[in-house]
This record gives sequence, C-alpha cells and structure tokens, in this order.
Amino acid sequence: MASKLTVRLAHEAESSLEITLREAFCCLEPQLKPPFPLIIPTQEQYSLLNKAILYGILCEPHLLKIHIKHLHGVITDGYGYFTSIIVIIVNEMYRKLVDSAKRQLIWIAREMVDVAAVGFNDLLVALLRQIVAGDSSEENLWLCYEMVTLFSSKWDCLLEEGSSVLTGALYVFLRLLSDDCRVSNAPNFESLMKMEKDFCVKMLREKFNLCLKIGRDLLRLLQDLVHVPEFRAIWKDLLYAPSVFGVGEFMDISKLYYTRTPKWYFLLRVNPQMESQLRFLLTHVKFGSQMRYQVWFAKKFLSAPEKNAVLIDIVRFICCVHHPSNDIIHSDIIPRWVVIGWLLKSNMENYVEANMKLALFYDWLFFNEKLDNIMNIEPALLLMVHSIPEYIDITNSLLEFLFLLLDNYDLERKEIVLRGLSTSLRTLLRKGVVESSAFIFLVLNAKHREPAFTRNSLQQLSISL
Amino acid sequence: MEAEATLQPLSSIAPAAQNNINAKFIVLDKGRVAMEDQHKTCLALVADETAAVHFQLWGDECEAVEAGDILVLKNGIFSYNRNSLVLRAGKRGAVEKVGEFTMRFVETPNLSEIQWAPDPRAANKYVQRAVVSAYSRIFPPMR
Repeated sequence: MASKLTVRLAHEAESSLEITLREAFCCLEPQLKPPFPLIIPTQEQYSLLNKAILYGILCEPHLLKIHIKHLHGVITDGYGYFTSIIVIIVNEMYRKLVDSAKRQLIWIAREMVDVAAVGFNDLLVALLRQIVAGDSSEENLWLCYEMVTLFSSKWDCLLEEGSSVLTGALYVFLRLLSDDCRVSNAPNFESLMKMEKDFCVKMLREKFNLCLKIGRDLLRLLQDLVHVPEFRAIWKDLLYAPSVFGVGEFMDISKLYYTRTPKWYFLLRVNPQMESQLRFLLTHVKFGSQMRYQVWFAKKFLSAPEKNAVLIDIVRFICCVHHPSNDIIHSDIIPRWVVIGWLLKSNMENYVEANMKLALFYDWLFFNEKLDNIMNIEPALLLMVHSIPEYIDITNSLLEFLFLLLDNYDLERKEIVLRGLSTSLRTLLRKGVVESSAFIFLVLNAKHREPAFTRNSLQQLSISL
Repeated sequence: MEAEATLQPLSSIAPAAQNNINAKFIVLDKGRVAMEDQHKTCLALVADETAAVHFQLWGDECEAVEAGDILVLKNGIFSYNRNSLVLRAGKRGAVEKVGEFTMRFVETPNLSEIQWAPDPRAANKYVQRAVVSAYSRIFPPMR
C-alpha cells in the first residue's frame, strides 16, 4: 500500500506534478514487481516508467530494493530524466513532502551520486537550497545534517567527478555557520556545527584550488567567521601566508578580490519560492502597486528576526542574479533599488544590516570594467540618489557605510578599494545611470554630514574620478 | 477526470441566484473571523487583472485561506448576503488554493461596491447602475 507523497491542507489543490506521478504509478503498478518486462520502451513509456518507479521509491519505502534494482535495469539515458524529475519535486514540493518521502529523497540523492547520474549536481543544489537560514526546527536541522554527511562521505566520489557542487556546499555551510555561530546558546546543534566546520576547513585547507572558483564572495563569507577560532587561522593565512594553500597562482588575497562570483552561488541561499516571488515582483508589478506583495513576502519569509539574515542573500540575489531587460528597466515596473530600499527597512539585527550594506556594495569595492557587470553595482547608486530628499537618512547611511569601507575594508590594500570604488562611480556616470548633477548633489549632501572623515575620503574619491 | 471549467474574469460577473461562477483570483486581504448562525465567517478582498470583489469565506475556509493565496473558485455564487454583495463558494461550490503571490491584480472596479439594477431587457439579470465606491470601503488600497 503506497503511502501519501505530500501533506495537503484543507482547500489545497493537488499539484499537477503529484497527479502525474501518482497516475503513472497506478498505471504501471503491476509492472513494478518482478519479473520485469523486457520490452524496449518508447520515449513516452520510458518517461512514464521513470515517474512510476520514482513515485514507488518515495512512497513505498519497504519496496525500495525492488524499485531501485528495477531502475538500474531500465535506465538508458544516464538517469538524466530521472534526476530531472527529482529536481522538480524538490524545487516545487519539498516543504509538503511527508517525512518518509523526504528520507527516501536523501537516500535516492546518495544513490544518484554513487552512479554518477547525469544531473546529480542539480539535485544536490536543489536540496541545499531547501535548508532554511536561522531555522532551528528539527526538520531543518535534519536536512542540514543529511547534506553535510552526504558531502563529507561522498567526498572522494564528488572530487572524482570534478563536481563544482562541493564548492557550492562550502558556500552554503559557511553562510549557515555565520548566522548560527552568533546564536549564544545552541546546544542542540553543536555537533552539527562541528561537522559543518570540519567540512569547510577540509575544503579550504585541502582543496583551495577548487575554492578559488567561488571568487570574492568567499572572502565576504569568511570575514564574517573571523571570530570563530577554526576560521581565524585560515583567515590569517589568507592574509599573511597565502602560499600555504599550495595553489601556485594564489599569491595574494587580492587574487580573490578580482574574481567575480558566478551567479549560481547566490541562488544557493535563496529558495525557489523566494526566487520566483522576487522575480515576479521585479518583472510584473508596477511601481506604486507593490505594497500588498511586500506584506505577503515579509509575512512568509521575514516573519522572525532570526530568519532575517536571509536578507543579506536576497540583496546579493537582486544585485547579481536578477538583471532586468532594457524593456523592463524603461517601463513602469518596480525597479530593483526600490525593493532593496524596502528590505533595508526590515526589522533585523545590527550585524544583518551591516552585512546587507556590504552585500549591496560588495562588487563596488573591486569593480573592473572588463570583468564585472555594471548591473551588479547600479541598484546601490540609484537607491542613494533617488532617496534624496524624502528619505535622505537612507542616502546618508549608505554613503557613510561606503566611506567606512573605503577607510577600513582592507587597511593594507586601500588603493585597491579606492580604485574599485572610483571605477564603479566613473562607469555608472559614464553610462548615464544617473545624471552627473544628481551625483554631485549626492556628494555635496554627504559633505555636510560627519565632515571629519568623509572630507578626507571624498577628497580621495574626487581626485581619482 | 473532471472537465476543466472555463474560468471567467471577475469583471464579467453579475449578481444572480445561480451557482455557476468559475474564476481564478488572488486574496488581497482578509478580515476578522465572525460567527454567523454558529458558523465561522470571514470577509476577504479578492481580485484578478480585471476587477476586485468581496469574497465571503465560510467555515474552515476562514483559516485555510490567507492573503497572497491564489484561489480557483468552482460553481460559486455572487449574490446579496445580509445586505452585502459577496462572491462565495456557497453550498454547491468549492474554493481551492492553487498557488501564491504570482498574480497581477487591480483593486478597481470593485463589484461589491457597485449599485446593481435589474436588466430591463432580461429577467433575472442585473446590470451595473452606479458606482458606490471605486475601491473597497472595507479594505481600502494600501498606500
């Protein structure tokens, strides 16, 4: 007797995906027990069979061995189609799956890694995205535990496959640790955090050549963990003894500054529902009509201060992943800077606010016209300019932060940061993102605040422009 | 397999004593739960890209439905219930949640804030006579 796949609440429609899977299973159920038919299926029959076996695996745990044997016997496309459906299930239905189905999902993910299935990377990425930041519920901790165990135990296998998903896991666990390490009493997941730390340290110490692929956001994440002893040592080596990482080309931390982080890393910390809602907001909602959507989004994803650390990742997503087309930019659809301005007003811890601003300006610090995308830096400037005069406190707070970065980000490499900031401004002005008069107004306005340190920084910035 | 009922835009509905309204809309706001003859009832503002209307939630619908939910109504009825004109599932209809967030909407016209009059040319039919309020007076637009 097959158990249910999902938990469905009253008045909730069954998803079409679940209907398709269940119907395939019901249709082919007699063929799912030995002796298995030996006919060569058509494309359509093959798809149906994949769906049926998958439903069987997820809903009939007691028949797992039979289903998996059957699966291995019928596959002709390297499990490509099979893993693609699992990815869709995870992205669309993970939260609603019954507990036993979730356990089977992890089991099948491990199996897909073992057989080096086509698309197993996408499957692991999809699962990582379902880990919720700041959520210490049993369910979430269980998923975390299963994922870190999977990555640790399948280490050799994943390396052999040349899989970049190991670096994705590093990104995720570093990010999770930076929130969790701030929680003062976390006894129930200390051992989990230890496993995560061990995995991260192992990646950084033994496979730094792979870690380099993450690019500059690796530093953004590590900096946030500098107070954690295990990472302090790594940070010191990055700054003062880069050669211990044993990667020829890595001779100075600035090598990472100049490596742009590929988009897919930022998606790792924004789950599919959040992504689809943000994309919808930025693609279909008119500026001025966004209030209700904002209330719904905040209620669903930002309801508790400890969950609001995800705001940092949302800012990175908006700046670096979601680049609207020219048509949208010139239409009356809500611009990205408005959404960021709204998010900055959320209720959050101080460190989250500071990290949000860093996330907003991060690509400014090392901007290189040839390597970087102006779309990553545009929202920050537009937010500063458009906040004048009605929300001048936002402009001031952001400008103040920018100058703080200029003076303090990397005391030994100030000229790099200065060059990055001035290139950003110069490029934004040249491409007409704002009128130069707006920019001058911005700078003059900043001059009247905190005169002591901004005057010095402003001088440096203006000289270099 | 159930045949797919044709969905109609909210702008096309008119009060009638028939439960034949099939529509898809998003819940904008939900009021407080009250009791009416020992049943839970709750008023909500719903809308699609063509119009908005007040929807009366009934029984366990009150808790099941939240603002931001996208619903499909089958065999609903749009009629007067204690002097207010509301859309509801009624005894023969049903409402189901099919999604969240990703739907555009307008808040005007609001068909519950319209004065309807009998159609002189067709018995049992109503036409719009006057606008009482462009927007819902119970759930005004957010500014």
